[in-house]
Amino acid sequence: MSLPARAVTLVVAFLLVVAGVVFVAFEFIGAQPSLENYTSQAKDGQVNVTLMTTAQTTVTNKPDWVSYFIKNPATGDFDHTTYFAVPASTRVNVTILGYDGCTPLRNPLWGQVAGTIGGVEDVSFFNGKTATPAAPLTTFDSWANCSVQHTFAIPGLGLNVPVASVTTLKENNNLCGTSPCTAANADANSPHTVVTFSFMTPKTPGTYRWQCFVPCGLGYVDGNGGPMGTPGYMMGEMEVRS
Amino acid sequence: MATEAGASSGPGRRRDGLWLAVSWIVLSVACCFVVALVWGPHMPPGAASTSAAGQQYSTRVLAVIATPVVVGILLYFGWALTFWRQKPGDDTDAAPLHGNTAVQATWIIATSAIVLSLAVFGTVELITPAGAGSGEGPQPIWKPPGTTTASATSWTPGSKNILQVQVIGQQWAWTYRYPQFGGFETTQLALPVGQPVQLNITSLDVIHGFWAYSLGVKADANPDVNDVAYTTPYVTGDFQVRCDELCGIWHGSMYDTGEVLSVASFLKWTQATRVRLADVTKLLPPYAATYDPTVVASMGKVNAALGLTGAGGGFYNPADPEQP
Repeated sequence: MSLPARAVTLVVAFLLVVAGVVFVAFEFIGAQPSLENYTSQAKDGQVNVTLMTTAQTTVTNKPDWVSYFIKNPATGDFDHTTYFAVPASTRVNVTILGYDGCTPLRNPLWGQVAGTIGGVEDVSFFNGKTATPAAPLTTFDSWANCSVQHTFAIPGLGLNVPVASVTTLKENNNLCGTSPCTAANADANSPHTVVTFSFMTPKTPGTYRWQCFVPCGLGYVDGNGGPMGTPGYMMGEMEVRS
Repeated sequence: MATEAGASSGPGRRRDGLWLAVSWIVLSVACCFVVALVWGPHMPPGAASTSAAGQQYSTRVLAVIATPVVVGILLYFGWALTFWRQKPGDDTDAAPLHGNTAVQATWIIATSAIVLSLAVFGTVELITPAGAGSGEGPQPIWKPPGTTTASATSWTPGSKNILQVQVIGQQWAWTYRYPQFGGFETTQLALPVGQPVQLNITSLDVIHGFWAYSLGVKADANPDVNDVAYTTPYVTGDFQVRCDELCGIWHGSMYDTGEVLSVASFLKWTQATRVRLADVTKLLPPYAATYDPTVVASMGKVNAALGLTGAGGGFYNPADPEQP
């Protein structure tokens, strides 16, 4: 091979490698879930954050994966993301609309509410027609009762909240089938729970990862693959900003 | 060296071999003292427990043994650069090397003695501190002297009955169970100072690695295996715990802070924690050395009773679809 031919080959090979790296980087970065910024919503030292769990993710190419959604504070729509930002030293009032069915915890320890203000979560059950009044709960026995669908846990803050599930076979068999479960999808009135709790964000800014401790990645090794290990589904990050 | 030293010997010439030997001995002795006494106490992982102190001692001994070697190499290198440089205009070849049986024999004997001695030393250092903080598997060979596992349901400070703490890895957090205090499980690791501890390390899912760096404890957390490690904390205070086995996307975040407390504070902590976690302790499976969801009778019972076919909380059949 002549010298010019070798030089051209080398340059082309180099450019191909660079293009591959750039493609992978942008593809990966571009696939990151968006961030719902609640910092500007804070008022009187409090901010309200709303999340939703669903039994499927019909808005993605993984329709049979369970997932969290977060309400966009600007539009009011539920976006498919698990990343949100809140201010430091602020009371975060969380509402989780739990539209998934029950799954037992692998470790029953995560059945106890921890790290919330008052050490409780308030739960209202909606069976498709009527809702029970919100009542405080502290412990869930997911091995004895159909009671937990996921958890919302921030290990770095010692926060653990079991997300209560609807309890009967009929309710579990009539879950919302389109995600997010909203009025627009005619699914908002499917059986679900409304879980509310509050916690304080730390004084110092930082990023705190959160996750579900229910092995709900059905069909994956140990139940912890798939949605359990993918940002935007059953794990995410809470960014605390100053 | 012999050739070079010989070449520079003779009336009025520098005696390189003698100077090198004397310099090496003097520098080695001085550096060994510095390594052993000045640097040694600061070597990782510190001396906060029996296992950590044992590891630090081993590192100090190895460093002291290595010091004369390092000094000798650097000294010879510096000497050669300084005194044996090729003179400008000198194009002659170097003197040929010849085999020297005495030198070769000395080298083989000396290095063999060092390596075999280190093998003996390493074995002793593994046995004496009861496994040196590493996991010994479910049936440990080396246990802290004078301790027993007479009771798995009670513990008294200073007794022969060793304190047992179960370390449970799961994606992605550590939890700790205290069978001798009612079997409560918590996300906080507390240990009493001056008391031997038996850590029973296991996992609920994949392979994790329990690494309490400043305690000198590092052991695999395997599902369905009880990996036993021993230590005795020497000083009160915090210590970091992290996972040392790549275990998934949040592996890097799988760390927390443990605490070594005075014996009185530890007992007070166990009492308070036992009460605080009483409700959830009732829900835990009976204490066992390992935890296998495929054999925990209660797991998935709810789903079966309801006729649900979703995720059951256990390990899934490998024949399930969507295996990655």
